[in-house]
Amino acid sequence: MSETPKLVLFQCQWCLFSSADQEWVDNQLPANIHLIKVPCTGRINPLYLLNAVQGGADGIMISGCLPEQCHFKTGNIGARRQLEEFSDYLNYIGYEQERVRFLWLDLQDRGIIQKELAAFEAQLEALGPAHNLATRLAEPAGGANA
Amino acid sequence: MPDLDALKAEAKRLLDEGVIEMVIGFKAGDTPLHPQPAFFKTSEEIDQLVYNALCQNNLATYLTRFPKTQKIGMLVRGCENRSVNALVFEGQHPRENLYLIGIPCEGIIDWRKIIEQAGEEVISVIEQSDNTVLVESKSGYFTLEKDTLLHESCARCIHPNPISADIVIGELLPEGDPALAREQVAAFANLSLQERYAWFRQEAERCIRCYACREACPMCYCEECFVDHVSPRWTESGTTPAGMQGWHIVRAFHQTGRCTSCGACERACPMDIKMTYLTEKLNEDMRQKYNFEAGMDTKTPPPFSTITLDDKSRFIV
Repeated sequence: MSETPKLVLFQCQWCLFSSADQEWVDNQLPANIHLIKVPCTGRINPLYLLNAVQGGADGIMISGCLPEQCHFKTGNIGARRQLEEFSDYLNYIGYEQERVRFLWLDLQDRGIIQKELAAFEAQLEALGPAHNLATRLAEPAGGANA
Repeated sequence: MPDLDALKAEAKRLLDEGVIEMVIGFKAGDTPLHPQPAFFKTSEEIDQLVYNALCQNNLATYLTRFPKTQKIGMLVRGCENRSVNALVFEGQHPRENLYLIGIPCEGIIDWRKIIEQAGEEVISVIEQSDNTVLVESKSGYFTLEKDTLLHESCARCIHPNPISADIVIGELLPEGDPALAREQVAAFANLSLQERYAWFRQEAERCIRCYACREACPMCYCEECFVDHVSPRWTESGTTPAGMQGWHIVRAFHQTGRCTSCGACERACPMDIKMTYLTEKLNEDMRQKYNFEAGMDTKTPPPFSTITLDDKSRFIV
């Protein structure tokens, strides 16, 4: 595939403990990755994921704190239940489950997020662009079947 | 089919003795195919009470439209009883202010299936004892098998009996087969990704955004629905592809762990859009992953309102 996959990164603002990593995410993120910072993964409404999917995201990565290390005690565990089910449900109606990935970051992790994003991007390239459910995109010239 | 006179007598007794202030039931509608929900406040009005297999609304929908202090009596079938339980759990009405008159349900007839065979102008529908339905329409008399007329969600019903009613009128029925309920979801999940999306798109794109499904659903009682919210606009609210698909995806997802598979959403749809394949999938997941069924009691919280550290999911490190 020639074009780079479009990626949305939901990032919990507490999960990147290394300031170098956070600096990289804030300022040096590649153009194909759209960053959405949230106060906690528990704050991510499934609607946000749906909006990303409908807006044409080829993949969604959610990075949060490890279970039991959540800044708000249990936000990430609640998020895991809901978003896991939501991605399974999206898979049921035609958006591959592999396109939604969770990343749990530990206190000691350094440079993990870059590696994981690269690995995820490679996986998405193999999958190809996501057309299903990307209904908010403008139709190509000549109509949808052109 | 329960004895209508026994139902009426019980409803009259409750109103006369002042146990409750109102009975929610059904009365005859504009056509024999559509008995309509009715709210009886005096025992004289009870004479209009009607109950048959064409009563297609889920009466628990109306529970949230009355003050919590009002003592309400309600005819409940299996699914309605579970909806009431779920609403009681969510604090929508105290259980002590409710009196549930249980009816073991033999299934709701899908009026569209009658029209398919007997034509639009139906004059009367009579349920006969040998499990057939005698339909009189302008094109003549038709004797139809009741099992072939049942609504899909009733045909695969697991719990036809009211589980926590204060009184049950009629004989209890055997429980349904959970495997039957699983069939539809499994069959859909076995299609390829593109086939699944094609089906979903074809169903969702007929939507006219009338929100009849929302109004018919007992669990959709939010003061402000996410599609009505203006700032921020969560999702497109017009009949655009993104708006229609977004509505169907999120409406069903909001029912996760709360849906009691009554199928009222599908029966209410004027465009005949299939929706239970979405909610059934979520129900099935809740059954398999968390061993949870909505409304089986008024104490167990649904999976999404509790958390544990030992979830079995692919996100676990």
